[in-house]
Amino acid sequence: MRSFAYERAASVEDACGRISDAAPPYAGGTDLLTLIKAGLRTPERVVDLKRSGLSRDIVDDGDRITLGALVTLGDIERSAVVRSRLTALSEAAGLAATPQLRHRATIAGNLLQRPRCWYFRTPEVGCWLKGGTDCPARTGCNEHHAIFDESPCVAVHPSDLAGPLVALDAVAHLQRATGTRTVPVAQLLASPAEERRSETVLEPGEIVTTIEMETSGPIVSTYRKAMDRAAWSFALVGVAVAARFDDRRLAGARVVLSGVANTPRQATAAEEVLVRSGDLSATTIERAAMAAVDGAEPLSRNGYKRQLAIALTAEALTDIATRR
Amino acid sequence: MTADTRSRPRVEAISKVTGRARYGSDVHLAGQLEAGVLRSRWPHARVRATEVARAREVPGVHLVLTADDVADVRWYDEQVPILATVARFIGDELAVVAGDSRTAVDEALALLTLDDEPRPYVTDFPAAAAPGAVVVQDGDESNVIGETKRYDRGDITAALARAAHVVEATYTTPMQVHHALESHGATAEWDGHTLTVHDSTQSMHDVRDGLAEALGLPVSRVRVITEHMGGGFGAKQVAWKPTALAALLAMRTGRPVRLFADRHAEALAHGRRNPTRQTVRLGADADGRLVAIDAEVLIGAGAYTIGGEDSVVEGPYQYLYRCRDVRTVKTTVRTNLGPTVAFRAPGYVEGVFALESAMDELARAIGIDPVELRRRNLPDRDQVDDLPLSSPDALVTCISRATEEFGWSGGPAPSDPPVCRGRGVAAHDWLAGKGILPGYAHVAFTSDGSVQVVCGSQDIGTGTRTVLAQIAADALGVDIDRVTVVLGDTGHGLHAPVSAGSSTVPTMGPAVHDAAADAREALLGAAAEHLGIPVERVVWDGRRLGRPDGSTVELTEILDAVAPRKITGDGAREELPDDVSIRTFGAVCAEIDVDVRLGAVIVRRVVVAPDCGRLVNPLLARSQVIGGVTQGLGYALTEHEVIDHELGVVLNANLEDYLVPTIADSCEIVHAEVDVLDHAANPIGSKGLGELPMIAVAPAIANAVYDAVGVRVRDLPITRQRLLDALAEREGR
Repeated sequence: MRSFAYERAASVEDACGRISDAAPPYAGGTDLLTLIKAGLRTPERVVDLKRSGLSRDIVDDGDRITLGALVTLGDIERSAVVRSRLTALSEAAGLAATPQLRHRATIAGNLLQRPRCWYFRTPEVGCWLKGGTDCPARTGCNEHHAIFDESPCVAVHPSDLAGPLVALDAVAHLQRATGTRTVPVAQLLASPAEERRSETVLEPGEIVTTIEMETSGPIVSTYRKAMDRAAWSFALVGVAVAARFDDRRLAGARVVLSGVANTPRQATAAEEVLVRSGDLSATTIERAAMAAVDGAEPLSRNGYKRQLAIALTAEALTDIATRR
Repeated sequence: MTADTRSRPRVEAISKVTGRARYGSDVHLAGQLEAGVLRSRWPHARVRATEVARAREVPGVHLVLTADDVADVRWYDEQVPILATVARFIGDELAVVAGDSRTAVDEALALLTLDDEPRPYVTDFPAAAAPGAVVVQDGDESNVIGETKRYDRGDITAALARAAHVVEATYTTPMQVHHALESHGATAEWDGHTLTVHDSTQSMHDVRDGLAEALGLPVSRVRVITEHMGGGFGAKQVAWKPTALAALLAMRTGRPVRLFADRHAEALAHGRRNPTRQTVRLGADADGRLVAIDAEVLIGAGAYTIGGEDSVVEGPYQYLYRCRDVRTVKTTVRTNLGPTVAFRAPGYVEGVFALESAMDELARAIGIDPVELRRRNLPDRDQVDDLPLSSPDALVTCISRATEEFGWSGGPAPSDPPVCRGRGVAAHDWLAGKGILPGYAHVAFTSDGSVQVVCGSQDIGTGTRTVLAQIAADALGVDIDRVTVVLGDTGHGLHAPVSAGSSTVPTMGPAVHDAAADAREALLGAAAEHLGIPVERVVWDGRRLGRPDGSTVELTEILDAVAPRKITGDGAREELPDDVSIRTFGAVCAEIDVDVRLGAVIVRRVVVAPDCGRLVNPLLARSQVIGGVTQGLGYALTEHEVIDHELGVVLNANLEDYLVPTIADSCEIVHAEVDVLDHAANPIGSKGLGELPMIAVAPAIANAVYDAVGVRVRDLPITRQRLLDALAEREGR
């Protein structure tokens, strides 16, 4: 690992002024340090945000819950408020990484982490996302890659929490030197494109300050995850479901798949099936689960992810049906 | 559980859990330098490190060595330069740097650039075996290492032709990486005369001899110390490059140097289990008696061979079952990958997976219980060497113990789709566990009446200190708390073999037993003289010696009486019996659930019954069982090195994507103790245990998967991808 300087930001404004490509923000460090160790980033300095005044609070305003950027996955996992009102997020936090990593990793860092694609992460390989000309995963060892083709890159978004955040209609509050803005998490994360080889629309010098979710009207939500190992693995496929009920009738549903695309993928076809039928009968669940993978185009080795997505969606919906 | 006085916790337990136990990577000597290695980024290329002068100027850097600086030091069986001019795998060592800190070393490594001429490469072993493949070693005609090894007994063609039932299938096994917690490496110091290395090794004496030869030093001027080591599993049986490079840097800087591989390098360049492809044909008569066993085995190896490895994949086919007509053909080929080396029961883990999967297929084809099929084919002797077995009832006892403990006769569990329960059985043998020669031990009473046992062995984490103390205490008739075992240093001058092949107990156990018996005889002789009675009348209770009339003296009185002479004993294990075949056996039963929607295998319970002769310490044996089964579960379900053969790149040379099982992946692990004394093997009746619990876990799991869902997965590991693809194929999806 190349040496780098360590700086501490005194305020969020100070942090926005200091961070750059050569000076990445540093909070939990659970992704940044692995990138540095693999030689994927060679910063001159890191800017520690932990004393910048960024919040580590989970604030419950009754009809909304706000998570400070520095809230850790462990904080989320242990929060009774999150568990009861944002169940999918709580479950996702508990299934992510290991207790040690969850103790350090922050919610904002978790959203902004780089892909775990093994071509991207292996120092000896070049790839499109790293500035190369093509994506070796397309024809190579793509068992962990995307089944929805949305970019020259077929890496999947690694976050367990991103899917539930999208399903729960979370918005991210951002700050930079010139001001603040609010962006839905679903739009903060975006497929890498020719002119922007990254997975977020964050501007240079911009920082996530809080993440907010409306919780007015009870939401029943859950997260399901398939891994190749029982713990400490990124999702092969994850499914987050959030449902709102109007009396007994299903009034609204979000179905969001992880591990299948560059970003958490909202399965709109499945959502339509659910809302149109307005119930969670076995037939509806089966039809919605099948619709979740509408348009999937698996690569040579990841056809099994279709089946995983269908099965996990059905399992999540069945769970919602029993819990409402 | 009833208390078993043999179940002594390991003597170093407290020092390990408190962090006081010193491993090679913990050693910190005054003036010590850190070191790092520049590695090839190409699977095959002519390479030369450039910008060396700039790297040498980095503040804090003491020495940069490239190929030119150490051209006379040769490595691997192929005797190539220790720092490569032609890199033959990604991770091949090109240059090494020593400096005051890791930061200085990394700064220098980053400045070194490479002038490289990439060459064609091959990393896929079946491709490497094909005609016209890229040849890994210049001057070789093909990638085949040595020659294809053929074994024949009887007439396989005729036997298959007359068999009532024949099954044929091809199985593949993956590259499994050892990933010991402590990586390969050493801290080396040079005092101008003697080289001392604190090495992480399973074989101090082989490291000493290997270093002496490579560095041109007399063996007497190399000393190897291994107080504790953080895992080897077969990958640390010889001197490895980090140790030699640390030694070279220490000798040239005059400062102690610490060099341990980082995790990426550990995965790329320091050993892995050979991958295999095995095509198996089994023939049986109408009663389920094996009439033909035919196996064609292709083994993938790395670019270089380094010793400590004899992957006898063909062994189980030849020895495990009684069968007159047997043929095996084995070919091993090089590829542009780091070296493959022994890994816990090398060859047998791979061979037993294929053979025992095929046996399950045969049982289904015949329509008999898979346990019954094995019972009908028990070996009555070693059919390769035509010798009686040292423990002829061992295998049947293992099968009985495993199946009883598991409750096999209770029949299969009902299945409740989509979660289906299944059970599987597999048996195995193993060529080792008999001892590796020679081993020596010295036992001495110290003036305070305690006992010191000295030997040249190393404790690789299996509990050698504890078990040898127990054996000595038993033979001497003293309390184990009075016995100290001193090992882990070649400086003691007593040779001991590599701690591998489940050999430590059967080699060092008899040597320590002999030494202790010798010391006891000397003690009784001295007591007889002191007490003025014939030796056979001396009474000894472990603390006091006395006359038959009940008058006694303290042990220390005898020790004082003979002073300055010491009461000692020596023991050796220098030969193995040649009139019996010493083999070890085992059986495994597994119960699993398969969720067919999610392709998930959930292992509920594994029962293993390994035959290690007399059990010295059931508690430590259980530790070996837990570790072996867990590694077997990894081999069955999660562990495999993923390689992009197009690019020649290992994609999971780390601990995030290479999936070593976690506790959550484990299950209830039951050790069905066998404890059948094998006095034909050696005087203490004990054979080695370490490797046995792993060997047949994977086929037991694969057979259970078939039992659960009717899908035969013949390629390990059984990932969700493989299982879901197989289920989809069956359903025509």
